[in-house]
Parts: sequence; C-alpha cells; structure tokens
Amino acid sequence: MKKFEILEHTADLKIRALGRNRQEVFENMMLGMQKALHPRVKKQETSTKIRIESEDLGSLLVDFLSEINYLNEVNKEIYKETRFYKFDDNKIEAELLGNKVSRFGEQIKGVTFHNLKVHQIEDGLWEAIVLFDV
Amino acid sequence: MLLKKDFRKINDWLWEVSKGFRYDMRVPARVYISENMLEQAFEDRAFEQLINVSCLPGIVNYAMAMPDIHSGYGFPIGGVAATKLPEGVISPGGIGYDQNCGIRLLKTEYRKQEIMPFIDKLATEMQRQIPSGLGKGHKTKLSIEQIDKVLENGIPYLVGQGHGTKQDIENCEANGRMEQADATTVSEKAKNRGGNQIGTLGSGNHFLEIQKVEEIFDIEAADAFGLFKEQIVVMIHTGSRGLGHQNCSDYLRTVMQAMPKYGISLPDKELACVPFSSSEGQRFFKAMSAAANFAWANRHMITCYTRRAWENVLDKKVKLDLLYDVAHNIAKIEEHIVNGEKVKLCVHRKGATRAFPPGHLEIPAKYRAIGQPVLIPGSMGTASYVLAGTEQGGPSFFSTCHGAGRRMSRTQARKTISGKEVAERLKRKGILVKCYSVRGISEEAPLAYKDIDNVVEVVHQAGLAKRVAKLVPLAVIKGE
Repeated sequence: MKKFEILEHTADLKIRALGRNRQEVFENMMLGMQKALHPRVKKQETSTKIRIESEDLGSLLVDFLSEINYLNEVNKEIYKETRFYKFDDNKIEAELLGNKVSRFGEQIKGVTFHNLKVHQIEDGLWEAIVLFDV
Repeated sequence: MLLKKDFRKINDWLWEVSKGFRYDMRVPARVYISENMLEQAFEDRAFEQLINVSCLPGIVNYAMAMPDIHSGYGFPIGGVAATKLPEGVISPGGIGYDQNCGIRLLKTEYRKQEIMPFIDKLATEMQRQIPSGLGKGHKTKLSIEQIDKVLENGIPYLVGQGHGTKQDIENCEANGRMEQADATTVSEKAKNRGGNQIGTLGSGNHFLEIQKVEEIFDIEAADAFGLFKEQIVVMIHTGSRGLGHQNCSDYLRTVMQAMPKYGISLPDKELACVPFSSSEGQRFFKAMSAAANFAWANRHMITCYTRRAWENVLDKKVKLDLLYDVAHNIAKIEEHIVNGEKVKLCVHRKGATRAFPPGHLEIPAKYRAIGQPVLIPGSMGTASYVLAGTEQGGPSFFSTCHGAGRRMSRTQARKTISGKEVAERLKRKGILVKCYSVRGISEEAPLAYKDIDNVVEVVHQAGLAKRVAKLVPLAVIKGE
C-alpha cells in the first residue's frame, strides 16, 4: 500500500493518502504534506503536543493539517511520526515527533476544503484526498 | 456538465451562461475570453466554479471571469463578483489565501545598455537583501505592537518611521492603507506566522524582476506614467505571506461555521460566506483589510531593500520611484452604477485587478486624466504589461485580469520540462535567473501558463483596460 501520492491539479498541490485506519490515513497525509515542503532537515529532534477539535472528520483532517502547517512555519520543524493519544471523528490529542529544519523549499499557504475526501474504500482501506494552496 | 453550447457569444470577447442553466444561479455568468481560449479553458473545473459564484446571496449583475481564468478555491482565479451592501455577502474564498497578493513597478532613469554591465551584481544583491523567507529570513522579528501598527496603518506607518517617501504612499492603491483594518480581529497565530516575514518574497509564483520597456503602445499614457523605451524597471510580485494565509484559514473556518445561522447553503465549502453586515462579516472585512495593509507594508519594505541593493552595487543614490501598486486578491467597498443608480458594493477580485477609469478620484492626480495604471505580469521569462483603466470597464466593475493564468498542473510541468532546461532556455534568451532551487523553476515554466499576449489582447479589445507598454525581463530573482 502506497502511503501517499501527489496528484494532478492546475495550480496547486493535491495529495492522496491511504491508511488501514483513520489514524494511519491522517498520518500518511501528513507525511505527504511534509515531503512536499522539501525541507532541509537538521539533526535536532523535536516533539510537539497538539489538540484539535472539529465538527466532522473532514474538517478534523483539514484542521489537523493546518495546525501542522502552522507549526512547521512558526517552529521551523518537520514531522515524521504522529502518536495519537485520543482520536475520534471530532477530536485529536497527539504528539508530533520530528526534526528542526534549516529551510523549506516550498511553503503551503493553506489547507483547503476543495473536493476534500476522507472515506473508506475497498477492503476497509481509508483514502483521503486534500488540496493545498501553494 | 457545462459545455461550449451552454455559452452564448455576446461579442468576440465576451461569453455568457444564462441564469437558467442551473436552478440555484441568481445571476448569469460571464467570461471575458476569446473563442480559442474558451475551448481550452474547459480542461479544469473553473467554469463550474464560476457558476457556483453566481449563487452568492446579494450578487449583482453577473458572476464574472477574466481571460486568465483557472481553477481556484470556491471562486475561480480570475473571478470578480460584487454583492450589494448591507445584506449581500462577503466570502473569504473570493479573496484567496494570499490576501492582497499584488504587483508593483519601480521606475529608474536608466536605459538597458547602462545597466547590463551590472545586471548580475544587481540581481545577486537583490537576492541577498530580499530573502524568500523560507530559510533564514530576516534577523529582526517585529514585536506584536509593531505588527499591530503595520496592520492598522500599512505603508504610511513605515514612511513615518523613516522608510521610503511620500510618493510611496500616493502611488499605491488605497494609499497603502485600508482604514477599516482592525488589528484585534487578526489572530495571534496569524501574527506569529507573519512576525518575521515582512520584507520577504515567499515561494511559488512570487518573484522580483529587472525588466526593460520593450514597446510603447500609448505615448500620452506612457509619458504620464513616466515610461520610455529601453527604460529599466523593477517588478515586485508578492502578498501578505504567512499572516494573510493564516488569516484566510482562520476566517474560512469562522465563516463556514457561522453560515448556517444565516440560512445560507452553497454548493462548495470554499465558497463559504456571511452577510457583510453580520458580526462575522464585519470582523472578516476588518481582518482582511489588516492583512492587506501587511501585504502593502511587505511590498514597501521590499522596495526599500531593492533601493538599498541598487545603491550598494552602483555605489550612489539611485532613483527607484514607485509607478503604482495594485492588489489582485482583495475585496473592496466601492460605489458603482447599477441599473442607473449609485450603489455600494463589496467587490471581490480573486486573481483580478482593479482598473479605474480616467477621472476617478482614487487615481493619483498625475495619472487621473489617463486612467489608473494596471500592472499585469506574464509567466516567468515572458512579457509583462502596463495598462490603464478605461471608461468602457463599467460592466466588469472596472476590473481586469491579473496575469497569464496557469494551464498546466505543477506535476505535469515537472514531467514536461526540468528546471535546468527552463533556466537554460531563459539563458539563451539573455535572461538571468537567480533562484534557490531549479525544482521550483520547472513548475513556473512559461509552458505551464497561458500566453500573456493573448490574455492582454482580450482585455484590451474588451475595453477592460488599454495597453500602455510591454515589458520584458532581463533578470528573474526568486529568493534565496
């Protein structure tokens, strides 16, 4: 199972992620997004706690990725793993593990709701498709 | 599914989809475009987005698109929609994530042959003085107090602090400051993101260019604007950086959550909107105005750093005067004639530029008889244009295009051409490219964009703006 792939979109960045459950698809989408930032990663490791609450699963994914985008820029760090302590359709409590970054090759302006998909497909696999404004 | 047969030709440059096409349309949809370009534009879903825009409560006359139309969020890029105040809506998607992304042009007194010996040094020094903000950025981070002053007072605040001149205020759209701005409506997150980003370029399609005036189409207008053939000019394209992006994200969520209580439902989440007069609508407009001021401040500081760079290289005081600065992602409160009456509208321009006609009081006095200067950048290494607003622009609420418009995805561009090849082709044309990585260059290759000459031809023929001058790049600078 491919964790994520970058799809076609005229102006921006469209990523499709797969996972065996919701947590995994969220984490794999995060990994795709982090890769798309083309970071120059430093050795220094980091750990950041986050807490997200949203009205539904789709909004939860957008808010989760938006928070990560914010932390990427403000803390200058990139994440390689998410440890979820709480996860349901409306709430996430997690720890993001990653590294400091000396620079990014790309910046994401926003995580959009455009044609957003978070759902189960065949074989119980979860799929998410998100469009990012770059 | 929208097809060409659903478009009625009004004239060679204007096409319309009637209100009857879909049950939820409140007004017809219109596209300023040539027949050729219309056929190509079906490839992405931009026209469907335009139909969705025509569903906005309070929308007046038409949902409109410019010839650089392509797919965006909620609104298509190149979209223009005006809603009637006070009950008409305001929609964050009608402005975009990069609030007040815009363009400015600086004029020098030099001709090409005088500057060519220094072009590499100038481009290098400009890249050094104006970081992209993706790496080291500026060493100074603005305090929250300073950010608040910039948010509320824009360019005039910075000039008051000793950066730049009075002319930098006068020759900027809105004099570099929207008065309704309120720093308390901008989140702490947005201020954190923007804090050390003033005077930085950003990534994607943002750029600095050293250009020369290649052709003059209208001598009277060029004289009034201070442009002459072979003149060296500098173009700056950037927006409100992380502050504006976060501001848009914040308010999209606020507006999305508030929308149901006003009984509004729309086909696209990114089209989320609230009545302008609602508390959320008011807060959003004040916050957007603040981010707009931040973007003007950003382009102003980049101007100051450009002046410093040129003085460092040429070792003397250099005149780099601001011709004009236009926003192309913004909402403005403007008065227009609708059905013979003067009406107050909230005009959304998303990837579209204001083009006020001759005589309009908001135009600086020295340009007023000619019309508002309009700046349209082409894709990297092609041409850019200076135009002027005309009296015939009324039907589009005096709006015109903003650039060439993409026609190919970033992934497709990367597959089609390498960044190295793009840089080589530009080099063969005599254009210097200064960039951090060639990867970003391939995504910005000219072949990924529509032809700027075609886009400007439509705008000129449709009477939305008239051509004044064509500019060509000598050096493209994309940040360190």
